[in-house]
Amino acid sequence: MGEKTSFTFRDIIWCNLKRRPLRSACMVFLVAAMAFVLFGGSLITRSLTNGTDGLAKRLGADLLIVPKGYDHAVEGILLRGLPSAFYMESAWLEKIAAVEGVAAVSPQLFIASLNSDCCSVPVQLIGFDQNTDFIVGPWIKTSMPGVLRNDEIVIGGAVAGRTGDTLQFFDMEYRIAAKMEYTGTGFDASVFMNMEAARTAASDCAGKRGTEAPPENSISSIMALIDDSLTPNGVAGMINSTFGYGKSGIVVVPAKTIISGVSVSLRILTRSFAALSAVLWIASFAVSALMFSVMLNERRQEFGILRSVGISRKKLMAMVLWESGSISLAGSAAGIFLSALLLIPFRVYIREIFNMPYMLPGFWQFCGIACVSVVLSASAALSASLLSSAKIGKTDAYRVIREGGL
Amino acid sequence: MILEARCVKKEYRRGGRSFLALDGISLSAGEGDFICIVGRSGSGKSTLLNILAGLLTPTSGSVCFEGREYGSLNDRDMSEIRSGPLGYIMQGHGVLPNFTVLQNTLLPHVMAGRSGDVTETAMRLLEQVGIAPLAAQYPSSLSGGELRRVSIARALLSSPRLLIADEPTSDLDEETAEEIMRVFDSIAKKGTALLMVTHDMDFAAYGTRSYRMASGQLFEIKPGGRN
Repeated sequence: MGEKTSFTFRDIIWCNLKRRPLRSACMVFLVAAMAFVLFGGSLITRSLTNGTDGLAKRLGADLLIVPKGYDHAVEGILLRGLPSAFYMESAWLEKIAAVEGVAAVSPQLFIASLNSDCCSVPVQLIGFDQNTDFIVGPWIKTSMPGVLRNDEIVIGGAVAGRTGDTLQFFDMEYRIAAKMEYTGTGFDASVFMNMEAARTAASDCAGKRGTEAPPENSISSIMALIDDSLTPNGVAGMINSTFGYGKSGIVVVPAKTIISGVSVSLRILTRSFAALSAVLWIASFAVSALMFSVMLNERRQEFGILRSVGISRKKLMAMVLWESGSISLAGSAAGIFLSALLLIPFRVYIREIFNMPYMLPGFWQFCGIACVSVVLSASAALSASLLSSAKIGKTDAYRVIREGGL
Repeated sequence: MILEARCVKKEYRRGGRSFLALDGISLSAGEGDFICIVGRSGSGKSTLLNILAGLLTPTSGSVCFEGREYGSLNDRDMSEIRSGPLGYIMQGHGVLPNFTVLQNTLLPHVMAGRSGDVTETAMRLLEQVGIAPLAAQYPSSLSGGELRRVSIARALLSSPRLLIADEPTSDLDEETAEEIMRVFDSIAKKGTALLMVTHDMDFAAYGTRSYRMASGQLFEIKPGGRN
């Protein structure tokens, strides 16, 4: 005595699943489809929100001043990392700094690297002034002490390479001094260097392209911070009125305009996603609950026989719930795995599809979304199983067997 | 007394009208009793057996198993009785397709969550009903008669104090049916109470008491006796 029979209650559950592979596979597939939709939808929505939050955090400036006609180009650089190059006189730096309400200014120089032998990768090169910078510098200091030398660069999270490796731009070798974290913004596909190195690169670039080199000391954009007491739109209006609307050759873009533009798009997208996910989830829930009910109803005869040989209501319910739970767990895991398999490696393409900043959530946020998806996906199967088994358990076993067709 | 039923009535509704499938049946079975019930289809035999097995609730009346009234027992206690001291062989085979012959035989033991390995006992019972070589087979590869023998072996696994059998020999050939009846006879001689419904009057002759069922009532057949 004390020895256990080799056939156990757990084996009963396993046999029921194993001996009906098609039925089990169909149920797993149903739950997997639901988990795929839920997890995928939530992950994309969260990534878009994270990307927008990241953009607001990384941008760091209140106003962006660029040559007239290039406001969309600068958006392309910031949001999507689309390589672009444009120039204006560096004299604008002092003029803008002198406008009342402007607290700090810092120039940047944009160069688009080439898709040819002279450059390792076609990316956006951004030169920044380390003395005045308040956008890139503060972030770099957290991962790279000291200043960038002329042969050093900092690369965005999506640029291939590690700290210590070298990349080549316009036949010049640069050592990677630091790599940024993935931000989901255009900065991920950008390479940062100091202003002197950037000017040399701009000149070399013009040589390679066969175009005229940009004027000496030219810059591409001015990042400006404003006094706390003023609004970006107010200061932008002041700059425009000082230098003449449309006549000055520059355009002032409040950073919030870019962010709020993204935010509006994000709001529309997330609402659409939430609505679509809800509709798909409700449909999947209904189909899944119906399928589980039909499946359990088909098994009434089996349950009746089990009741006749002594299974209690509680144990019958436990058996059904374990079966549904196993199917739900396998289905949810498969759905989440497939969803992650599709969404994680292709995050860059997804960002391009949405044309918005896109940053995957961190580990714990990822786990949270996965857990909620598992619970919601399993709820249909478990609630249908609970209801059906409770109903069967309450009915006289003889009636269950007869209704089951015996 | 192992089983005692008093004034059991069962009312069904059909086509908006109610009728009595069982009309105040009283029956008792003690140690070693082998009770046979014969009757036409629809006379209420299966309804009676299922009420006596605790698988169906009567409209009125009471059924006691070893002094415990079914109506006063909860589901757990009732399930314990069905997986232990009360063996039930249902009409048809009642064998589950997902389990092997041996696993089907072991079901009452597993359902009750009892300790101890009863595989040897199950194999001995399968041997007794002549299907031990099929122990590892699934029901889909068995004949109707073989399936019936699986359910007989399963009902005997817990050495029941009362064995209720609803037409246990209906799918069996004459020789096997005789063999099964001899198994029942020896079980009854060892003290188990047996309650069997059959169409075959020859097998009814095995009973220590025999009844004919008609219009929801039992009529004792005299004289009766063992072969």
